[in-house]
Amino acid sequence: MTLVYIILILMFGGLISWIIAGKNSSLAKGIALLAVLADLVIIIGFWISVYDKFDLGSQQWLIDYRVEWMPQLGISFHLAMDGLSLLMTALALFLGAVSLIVSWNEISKNLGFYLFNALWLIAGIIGVFLSLDLILFYFFWEVMLVPMYFILAIWGHENRRYAGMKFFLFTQLSGLLMLIAIIALYFIHGKNSGQYTFDYFALIGTSLSAKTGLWLMCGFMIAFLVKLGIVPFHSWLPDAYTQSPTGGSILLAALMSKTAAYGMLRFVVPLFPEASKTFAPVAITLGVVSILYGAKLAYAQTDLKRMIAFSSMSHMGFIMVGIFSFQALSYQGTIIEMIAHGISITALFTVAGVIHARIQTRDMDQMGRFWEQVPKMGAITMIFVLATLGLPGLGNFVAEFLILTGAFKSNVTLTVLAALGLIASMIYALVILQKIFHGERRKEWKLTDLTPREVLAMGCLIVAIVWIGIYPQPVIKTAQPTVNSLEQNSNNTTFVNDTGPTNKMTLKNGDENMTMTRETSTFFLSLNKKGGGK
Amino acid sequence: MIYLLQEELSKKVMDVNDIASYLPIGIQIVCAAGLVAFLMLVTHLLGPKRKTADKLQSFTSGIESHGDARQPVAIKYFLVAILFVLFDVEVIFFYPYAVNFKGLGWSGFWAVLLFVGFFLCGFIYIIKKGALKWEE
Amino acid sequence: MISLTGLNLILPQLIIALAAIIVMLSIAVKRCHRFTNLFTLLSFAAAAISVLYIPRGSFGVSSLFVVDGFGKFFTVLIACAGFVITLMSYHYLNAREKRNEEYYILLLLSSLGALTMVISNHFVSFFLSLEVLSVSLYALIGYLKEEPAGIESGIKYLVLAAVSSSFLLFGIALIYMQTGHLDLSGIAAGLSSSGEFSGVFIAGLAMVIVGIGFKMALVPFHLWTPDIYAGASAPVSAFVATVSKGAVFAFLLRLFYSTGGLENKNVWTVFTIIAVASMLFGNWLALRQQNIKRLLAYSSIGHLGYLMVAFLAITDRGMQAATFYLVVYFTGMLAAFGTVIYMSNKKGEALYIDDYRGLFWKKPWLAAIFTTVMLSLAGIPLTAGFLGKLYLLTAGTEVGIWLLVIVLVVSSGIGLFYYLRVVAVMFAGKNENEASSEPVIGKIFPHGLVLTLLFLLLLWFGVYPSSLLEIIQQIASVIR
Repeated sequence: MTLVYIILILMFGGLISWIIAGKNSSLAKGIALLAVLADLVIIIGFWISVYDKFDLGSQQWLIDYRVEWMPQLGISFHLAMDGLSLLMTALALFLGAVSLIVSWNEISKNLGFYLFNALWLIAGIIGVFLSLDLILFYFFWEVMLVPMYFILAIWGHENRRYAGMKFFLFTQLSGLLMLIAIIALYFIHGKNSGQYTFDYFALIGTSLSAKTGLWLMCGFMIAFLVKLGIVPFHSWLPDAYTQSPTGGSILLAALMSKTAAYGMLRFVVPLFPEASKTFAPVAITLGVVSILYGAKLAYAQTDLKRMIAFSSMSHMGFIMVGIFSFQALSYQGTIIEMIAHGISITALFTVAGVIHARIQTRDMDQMGRFWEQVPKMGAITMIFVLATLGLPGLGNFVAEFLILTGAFKSNVTLTVLAALGLIASMIYALVILQKIFHGERRKEWKLTDLTPREVLAMGCLIVAIVWIGIYPQPVIKTAQPTVNSLEQNSNNTTFVNDTGPTNKMTLKNGDENMTMTRETSTFFLSLNKKGGGK
Repeated sequence: MIYLLQEELSKKVMDVNDIASYLPIGIQIVCAAGLVAFLMLVTHLLGPKRKTADKLQSFTSGIESHGDARQPVAIKYFLVAILFVLFDVEVIFFYPYAVNFKGLGWSGFWAVLLFVGFFLCGFIYIIKKGALKWEE
Repeated sequence: MISLTGLNLILPQLIIALAAIIVMLSIAVKRCHRFTNLFTLLSFAAAAISVLYIPRGSFGVSSLFVVDGFGKFFTVLIACAGFVITLMSYHYLNAREKRNEEYYILLLLSSLGALTMVISNHFVSFFLSLEVLSVSLYALIGYLKEEPAGIESGIKYLVLAAVSSSFLLFGIALIYMQTGHLDLSGIAAGLSSSGEFSGVFIAGLAMVIVGIGFKMALVPFHLWTPDIYAGASAPVSAFVATVSKGAVFAFLLRLFYSTGGLENKNVWTVFTIIAVASMLFGNWLALRQQNIKRLLAYSSIGHLGYLMVAFLAITDRGMQAATFYLVVYFTGMLAAFGTVIYMSNKKGEALYIDDYRGLFWKKPWLAAIFTTVMLSLAGIPLTAGFLGKLYLLTAGTEVGIWLLVIVLVVSSGIGLFYYLRVVAVMFAGKNENEASSEPVIGKIFPHGLVLTLLFLLLLWFGVYPSSLLEIIQQIASVIR
């Protein structure tokens, strides 16, 4: 029931703040934030209470809640939580709270409706992370869409209608293709077993012919690739990311794109193990192309938000590479990347929003030498720019390192190319810092530094990214059961030998008293040993 | 007779179901259209044409025409006409009833009575609405 | 001859027929709009409720009608739609026309046509009910005397419908010639004995398809739709969009499912082409419309195309999907036209999309309702339209008619464009030059209530449709 409450709290919070906003806008904002924070507390409390259970070989699912919904069609209301969804839910709530805080004063027009949409959007995202019935999953998948469209089309920047329409069409159409694949899977499973159901656990063992499997997987993949913004399907992404208001950009880039990555981990790989093996070379190639092409495009932008958008696309490429390498290491890397990228992109969009709120432009050619006036903003931006380019000690480095180490084993050439992306990211990331905070002063702006509210939000983000950068153990530990089952799943289809449960024990030896550097290095060592042992 | 015809026709259609068998029809259509086109073309080319003002006037047995033929007619006229048709059609339904009067028995009688009753309601409506009042 | 025992089976039809006559007589005695409206409402309600007194099972009433679960379901659906339309007509007519009472006679009569059509089991009863439906519609479409567009579209409809009826009659005659039967079970028996379809029979079916396709506004026969929707008054457009189309679709289901006409490859192909064309053209042509009624007209062409996908599945699931989708479509269309009526005033209807600019900031509830309706028509989750579309897709994928399924998806993608356009306009900035200060019709009490109810229905069917699904599953397998 906890899971239902988490979603309901957000939905009711949204409704209440919509109703109240007409009379008392700050109370409405308070209620919205409170709803998100309350959920965050619930989730973190739950995490702490089950933290010990992640140890070894323990079962994957922590909560499993299922009631009949439309029994005539075999649709149930099935929510469940494992380590991966726990992490993602916590991330969604954390970043959701941050997005509310940073856009505290940005939205003045029709505030109530904005809060309603923001909270329902977060609820939809969490629903996606938790649902294990395929129709319910699709349901939440689409529920995310409508509030996001409104946020984009009502409170967006100058070209918002166009961007909103494009976003909606791309995601909706690709989503419908996924729906067809879901329905087809339902019938194939039904005909094989006589049991017509959309339940994840039932469908997971469906045996498919190679060709059917590939087709169905393509249906799922199209929806996920579009939402992730991988190369041939990315054209909506820069428009939507750029035109959204700050809060919308954060939710879109930091959370919605993660639903796609989550979908691949949760559905594509387990449901179509063989087909995804077949598809892997294509997927990794697409990922590499996205990394390099995104980096190149990011470098060419003068619009700050557009640049961040393309940098995000480049990082999503790493996620593709990570997922389709089918290695425990790269799975772990992917999950950390999802979190770290979520945090760093939130911070970058916040900076863009903060600057836009002060000087009403996103054009970097009109900025320059801001550091003198706003040193706090500059320092914080620097931290996240460094995170984006993958500086060791910050979250993104851990993630990308793990992904590349894992991927190296499955495809050397492409991994080398992907690694080039790290260099490319350095170029565009430093350009942000250079053009805005250093360089020539092109125009006289009156700037005020960050307000305490903004510092608070950014402070939370800094703590989070540093924490993941130097001590990612809790994340890794929590995700471990999921990664194990993913790995077993792919092993079952191709590899004969079994790694056995003993190897997995190496991962739990996190000693809090160790120094920072030793901790991380031994940690990586143990991970590598595990990978090499196979 | 009709039954036989039906059988015959359906058999024919069943037999000749390939495209070639439609050839005679095609030829006929081409001939028909061609004949019409030919005749129109020939009369157009051969016929003498003299366009004088007198020729283009409408011919009314030597009397000069005046006024417009499309004079507005009172809407009442149409109303009465259509009502006449309505009740005239009703009468037609009595013929089959009259022929089968005995066979249909009482249930037939009630049915026709109902039918007449409904029409009576319509008639009351028409009278009350003054559709038949000519001068107003 | 109908015996008196059979009468209770066609109670709803009898009630509506009697109501029409009573309304006519009451007008002859004294004109009173309020009474006439109330009486019409009551008779629609009575017709819907009287279905409860019909025993379960399938009964033939003479050889013309068959009363079964399917027929009863559609009877209730049409009676409810009639109820809603009557309710929405009251203030509209008060504002726009002086002599309103005859409107209800016509409305009752055309509903009667629809109600008898859904229980027809025989070409004669089908044709009769089709004519009862159409003839009253001619007058209904041109009902507003001050509105030249309405009269024009009435005449247009008259001419085109007469042509389509003659096609239909010719088709029926050809089928009769081939099988020697006019009742559907007889046709089915005549067919199964002869095996292959003969050319004459196919020609007959093709002509019947022309007639039916015209009524349902499927693509090659759709040209009348936008003009008639735009020209007729909004409640009548709602009637044409829902009751008239729904009833014909119900008969189409009965005709082809009970005779097995779809088993023939050629017939199936023809329908596939019609369905694909309807889905694509309907949505495509709606894209550039500025007039909301024309937009709804084209969108309804598309929706009927979606329905054909379920129809072409020829399974029980297809039947269920079609029935469910039709309910959703009825609700959505009624609410959409209800909103148009709400926004209209004495001077005219709120025809253009621009009339809805900034509606959200002026009337948030109405805008929320209209948004939901648009999203439901577009098939977005949380609304009934999504589950309807899901059901259609399930029906299509079950039998693997991939072409139709893909076209359905693509055309709903196209459809999003214009539904979203309407939504976006409502959320756009306020309208600077407030066109008229005339009060809108919907301000008055029952109208808003009806819209809210329809809105709640859309949400209810979209979130928890189990009870409706149960009923539909019970009735759907009956007619095969």
